[in-house]
Amino acid sequence: MNHLFLRLALVLLTVAGLGLTSCNNDDDQQDDTVKPALETKTVADLAPQPGAPTSTGQPGQPRHYTFYSLTEGKEVPYTDSASTKWDVAFRRTNVLINGGTSGPGQGGAKVESGLFAELTTAPDTYAVDAASGLAIPAVTGSGWYNYNSTTHLITPIAGKVIFVRTATGKYAKLEITSYYQGSPASPTLATPSGYYSFRYVYQPDGSKNLK
Amino acid sequence: MRHASFCFLLSLPAAALAQAPAAQPDTLRRQRLDEVVVTATRTERSLTEVPIPVTVVSQQQIQAMGALRLGDVLREQTGLTTVNDHGQGIQLQGLNPEYTLILVDGEPLIGRTAGTLELSRIAVGNIQRVEVVKGPASALWGSEALAGVVNIITQKPQPGVGGNLRLRYGSNRTADLGGTFSAKGEKLGLTAFVNRYSSAGYTLSGTPEASGPTVAPFVSYTAQSRLSYQLGERTCLSLSGRYLTEGQESNLAVAAETGGMALVNYQSRQQDYNLSPVLTHRFSDKLFGTARFYHSGYRTKEDYTYQATGQPYDQAYFHQYYTRPELQLDWQRRPGHVLTTGAGYILETVEATRYDARQRQRSGYLFGQYDWTPTPRLNVVLGARFDGHSQYQGQFSPKLSARYQLLPWLAVRGSAGRGYRAPDFRQLYLNFSNPVVGYSVFGTNQVRAKVAQLATQGQLAVDPGTGQPVVYEAVLGQAQGLTAESSRAYNLGLQIDPTPKLQLTVNGFRNDLQNLIETAAVALKKNGQSVYSYRNVTRAYTQGLEADARYQLLPGLTLSGGYQLLFAKDKAVVDRIAAGEVYRKDPQTQETQRVQPADYGGLYNRSRHSFNLKAFYENQPRGWSASVRGVYRGRYGFGDVNGNALLDADPEYVPGYWLVNLAAAKTFRRRLTLQAGVDNLLGYTNPQYISSLPGRLYYASLQVELGKLR
Repeated sequence: MNHLFLRLALVLLTVAGLGLTSCNNDDDQQDDTVKPALETKTVADLAPQPGAPTSTGQPGQPRHYTFYSLTEGKEVPYTDSASTKWDVAFRRTNVLINGGTSGPGQGGAKVESGLFAELTTAPDTYAVDAASGLAIPAVTGSGWYNYNSTTHLITPIAGKVIFVRTATGKYAKLEITSYYQGSPASPTLATPSGYYSFRYVYQPDGSKNLK
Repeated sequence: MRHASFCFLLSLPAAALAQAPAAQPDTLRRQRLDEVVVTATRTERSLTEVPIPVTVVSQQQIQAMGALRLGDVLREQTGLTTVNDHGQGIQLQGLNPEYTLILVDGEPLIGRTAGTLELSRIAVGNIQRVEVVKGPASALWGSEALAGVVNIITQKPQPGVGGNLRLRYGSNRTADLGGTFSAKGEKLGLTAFVNRYSSAGYTLSGTPEASGPTVAPFVSYTAQSRLSYQLGERTCLSLSGRYLTEGQESNLAVAAETGGMALVNYQSRQQDYNLSPVLTHRFSDKLFGTARFYHSGYRTKEDYTYQATGQPYDQAYFHQYYTRPELQLDWQRRPGHVLTTGAGYILETVEATRYDARQRQRSGYLFGQYDWTPTPRLNVVLGARFDGHSQYQGQFSPKLSARYQLLPWLAVRGSAGRGYRAPDFRQLYLNFSNPVVGYSVFGTNQVRAKVAQLATQGQLAVDPGTGQPVVYEAVLGQAQGLTAESSRAYNLGLQIDPTPKLQLTVNGFRNDLQNLIETAAVALKKNGQSVYSYRNVTRAYTQGLEADARYQLLPGLTLSGGYQLLFAKDKAVVDRIAAGEVYRKDPQTQETQRVQPADYGGLYNRSRHSFNLKAFYENQPRGWSASVRGVYRGRYGFGDVNGNALLDADPEYVPGYWLVNLAAAKTFRRRLTLQAGVDNLLGYTNPQYISSLPGRLYYASLQVELGKLR
């Protein structure tokens, strides 16, 4: 019974902490590191780097990847791309991790099927980015998305959870929720694409516990 | 004269064997005994006595409906749904248009786009009746007859000289102008049909200038003729031909190289022709032979030109040819035993923008059928066909069907059989690379060579571990072993005639499909995209129940109703959901949840419920006729919105809708008929999902009978 009370107290504390943080500082939620309850963070509309449209009017290839640090919870400038300051990077349907051919870090990834809430332990083995393919396959149906050849829309596959080993060898789980600006329920071809919305849980203590 | 008549019967000759109707258990059925079908057994049989479900739509009904093209006729029939995918096609027993064979006088129409044979290519002005056989008929008809067969029977020459002229005009400046001609003497018979069909098209949303019309203006011409000649007392020669040409033109906006929009002029032309000489000979009262030759061509050409500069933007062509000689023998061993056998050879070629070179495939086939009536109450038909093919494994398709007259007013019929559909040209020979996205698709016939070529060109991604290109050997092997899609199907039904005025039929069906063809990645390209080909994987089923009722309320007034219940599911998906491996995303909250078995709605584009209600009225002495027909299509899935590529949530359905059509006609002095009608009286449209539905349409027509009246 004592345990139960302890947990309840912790939860309350966490909730209180969250409330306080958001009251104090709307932009920065990173200060909240109360253990052991890990926080699920959401990122909305991580924007692509605009490029010129192609001859056929398709959205142009973004000039370069958009880099993001799961550790810091913020976008990382392009100029830091050769560092271990970023953990994941996005460009069109490609998602890189900071490892292998993509970066100098210890990054890796593994895509698993299941519910985000139910998958609570990071796996032991990870793929790294290579010339033969990315750790998170950028192929319709076998990675994180489906491409519909009739509507030409990209839809994140429901129930695909991406486990990420960060540039510094910590663990996180990530679920991409939308590829379109504003996360519309029914995007169309005209909806600006390449805007990633995702949720993730980052474990700062180096363990594989992602509860 | 008795011999002369068989010349004009049909290309399918068994009636000439004068097989008495197998069973005449009561007089109640006699009124419909004259309704014959030829598609079910390749011999003339009474509609009510064939052991498999067949729907017949008569010329009289077609005229009372005011129908112009085949799609108008089929969409009002129970168990048939018109669906749109690269054209308007027919869904039968819940199976896509590519699984229904479409014949004109027993000869197959060619020219399918992504599996769909455009139903508006067939004018109905010279049709005597349309027969729809439900359930697989590959045992007689070979490939494509997996869901069933639609056979369009055109008019035969009538004694004397006669014909008609017809003009119809309606909404969207839709004009139909045509005529038929028929002459028959002692030895020679001739029919001819010409038709011009045009429309200004329509635009459901936006303006045609900004976004292009929903359906662009088009003009289509059809000419069809048949000549029969009695060569001798026992021999008859006939020659049939058909030609269709259709042109379409519109303007559309595309993104120009500068990034802005540019106007492009689109012009297309398609041609479709066939020619078929048939020789029949009656060796004896018991043996009848038919030699048929059939050649058909289908050609399309599409040109896209920049309006400003006149420079070409894109162009494409597709040419397909089909040639087939065939022999058939019908032997009536004893009364009640009819053996039908046949053999043929098919040569098909195709040449197109997306194919490397002219591709050619050959096949030969043999079929046999034993039609046995041991007692007046029982009829058993056993048939089988073998198709050997140059590109894939041979196909053996047996079928057994039987009908038993249990009581004077009650009959049971059932059948079990195999159906198949050969891989099409696209699946065998396609050579296509998407210039924008960068993926490639190759037909299975050449995928290994193409992958090897990409590897030598250094276009494939290389595995750093082995230093070898990334090629999925297992899938490549599957692609090379591509075989036909096939089904095992079962039909079981009742025919009930409780009173002379009421007829009921009920039929349950189940189609177990295997080796359905899907695309699969065979290699990985350097640009991160895949090389695709085709393989046999998917297993699915469709099952359901169909019921039809017809009641003669008053002399001249017939009420009818039909209903179809349908379940169509992918078996692999059913298994995955049962194992709890399928998820979905709530589009509002972005939360992911597990899909439950009850959520799965099955294959897309299938309505669980569909029904129709019709009333036909005819008063021949006074020259009046009228009809009201309502067709309801229940809700059906259009696509995925929640990230699992399957149908499992309400927003993934197109709502159900009613189409109500009215027509009325008055005939003056038996020669002049005026008809007026409204199609889609309720004006239902759904611009987002049903582009083929133009809204309320009014029309009026005038028909004049010439020469000898029938």
